[in-house]
Amino acid sequence: MELFLDLYGFLSVVLHAAELMARSVLLGSIAFLAFLAAPLAGRLPAGEGAMLLATARRAILWGGWLTLGAVLCSSGLGALALIGTLGLGAWQAAGAGFVLSALGVMACAAAALVLARGGARPWPPLVIGLLLLVAAVAGSHAMARTEDRLPMLAATFIHQAGAALWLGGLPAFLIALRLPWPPATAQAVGARYSGLAVAGVAGIVAGVVGYYLGYVGSPEAIYGTAYGAMSATKSVLFAVLLLLGLANFLLLHRFAGDGAFLPRLRRFVECELIVGICVFGIAASLTSVPPGADLPDDRVSWAEIQERAVPRMPRFTSPSHADLGIPALQAQLDAQARENAERPQAFIPGEGFLPPRNAFDIAWSEYNHHMSGFVVLAVGLAALADATRRVALARHWPLLFMGLAAFLFARSDPEAWPMGDIGFFDSLRDPEVLQHKLLSLLVVVFAISEWLVRLRGKRSAAAYVFPIAMALGGFLLLAHTHAIANVKEALLVELSHLPLGAAAVVASCARWLELRAGPGAAEARIARWVWPLCLVFISALLIFYREA
Amino acid sequence: MSDFVRAMPRRCLLAAPMILLAPAAQAHAIIRHAEPAAGARVSPGPVRLRLVFNSRLDHGRSALFVAPVRLGGGGTADEVRVELAADCPAAELMGTTDALAPGNWRIRWQVLALDGHITRGDIPFTVAA
Repeated sequence: MELFLDLYGFLSVVLHAAELMARSVLLGSIAFLAFLAAPLAGRLPAGEGAMLLATARRAILWGGWLTLGAVLCSSGLGALALIGTLGLGAWQAAGAGFVLSALGVMACAAAALVLARGGARPWPPLVIGLLLLVAAVAGSHAMARTEDRLPMLAATFIHQAGAALWLGGLPAFLIALRLPWPPATAQAVGARYSGLAVAGVAGIVAGVVGYYLGYVGSPEAIYGTAYGAMSATKSVLFAVLLLLGLANFLLLHRFAGDGAFLPRLRRFVECELIVGICVFGIAASLTSVPPGADLPDDRVSWAEIQERAVPRMPRFTSPSHADLGIPALQAQLDAQARENAERPQAFIPGEGFLPPRNAFDIAWSEYNHHMSGFVVLAVGLAALADATRRVALARHWPLLFMGLAAFLFARSDPEAWPMGDIGFFDSLRDPEVLQHKLLSLLVVVFAISEWLVRLRGKRSAAAYVFPIAMALGGFLLLAHTHAIANVKEALLVELSHLPLGAAAVVASCARWLELRAGPGAAEARIARWVWPLCLVFISALLIFYREA
Repeated sequence: MSDFVRAMPRRCLLAAPMILLAPAAQAHAIIRHAEPAAGARVSPGPVRLRLVFNSRLDHGRSALFVAPVRLGGGGTADEVRVELAADCPAAELMGTTDALAPGNWRIRWQVLALDGHITRGDIPFTVAA
């Protein structure tokens, strides 16, 4: 049970992200059936119309099963945490509001599955979809608000409906774009989907306005609280999504004279999916941090952010245990610790309080960031050199990641072998140490696979390890959150990590686009410069990273 | 499991390759007002507890405990559950402890907000004559 509680915080966010995505795909697929496939099928030749309807129903089936699985896991996790921490009986835990909301969602998903299998008319699934959204919103944060509950419930409903219309419909749209039909039919599907996407954007924006008024409340809360900073990052990725959407809109409405637009459209939709998944990751995190409006005290000021953003000479030497306590810094941290001690704090089960950090921890962490940054800089510059196609040696850049893997292996757990006294196998009993060692192994696997790709050619399946790993990294960076009680230092750390996550997502999309387009395409020629530049940007953030 | 301080640099280090990162805490329910306040001194005897949150709570699945503060913290064996008042407002937990002897104490609270998020926290206070 202790191990479970240790993992609860992480699992709850990941499962909530999965739940948000699955629900959106189900709702988006239902909307795809009701507002796109059904009306359009009648105007298409019989075979094509049947194909379009089957596509929508297939997407509903996928969305339905995914929703059932994700909601079951997510609500089951919460119920187990209640049982484990309060000693409740299973039935008592099952009576919690979030479990009832989850049961409502699962009942609707099951009904949608039955209707989609039966090939029913589009309107019954649509009614079921609306009921599902109502059940989901009943378990959202708006339900727990002490003030303005109804307006916030409405904002949540509109926002999630908008996300479903646009992002949730993407899988069905992508499947439809892959069907073997004439370009004119694909264009008709795309044009109709554009309408759904525009309506979705309107819903998302309307919901965001509500969220800003109810949950953020002031411009200062945008940069001064974790909720605000994450919302801003989500908005940046939303802008990337809008750019991709605009590109698709132009492709469909301006450049669709022949069939050449179709492959490019598919690639952009795939990138929309990658960014969309990461946006759902942030959304899941946002639902689990306190709204900025609820944290009027202890916010990070603009001056503090500016002070932290001033570059400082990177650390080239690592502190040892004998370096403990750089006097002035330690005095400053002690003062902060005394100040924080008087505030009531909050944490999730399995998580501990945030004890005061000392100068050793900060110096250790900064050194780790800086050295990692130099490795990533070397990778980025080598990849840029490789992009020129003039430096043959540069194609071996993935091997530089081996240095990063060795660095992570050696320094991630200072108390364990090889730095500390705990033996290698003994240290693996600590899940965190095990996680770090696995991470080092993953970096090795990633480096070797990408190196082999560079040696053999880019279009093998192994080539996609890189963009997928970058997207996964970006997702996890964006999906993790800190600073329940607005601990300033944790938020300042978070402010530096959010751009890292966003840059990783952009790099992932660029590499994906390059791979999918092939070397001759215009977008590939641009993309092959974009992702190395993202790596250089990431390296700069790491090299000048500061924790004090 | 090592404490958060030990974990922090390691967690931050994981950002470098951006493949895996353990999250820190997330929670929606936070305290707006507490009686006794963190660090407060109260008289010996039963202590009335009142915690005001920013979220509506599921009172049937929330709890208050009181326990002596021990050096080094940790452990729940000596936590005593405080019965919640029947008339708690939607976003509050209220209760009264048994008589507390002079010393350092902590309130351990755990709430389930209506949005399904579980949050815990401690409020240290001192009982002194």
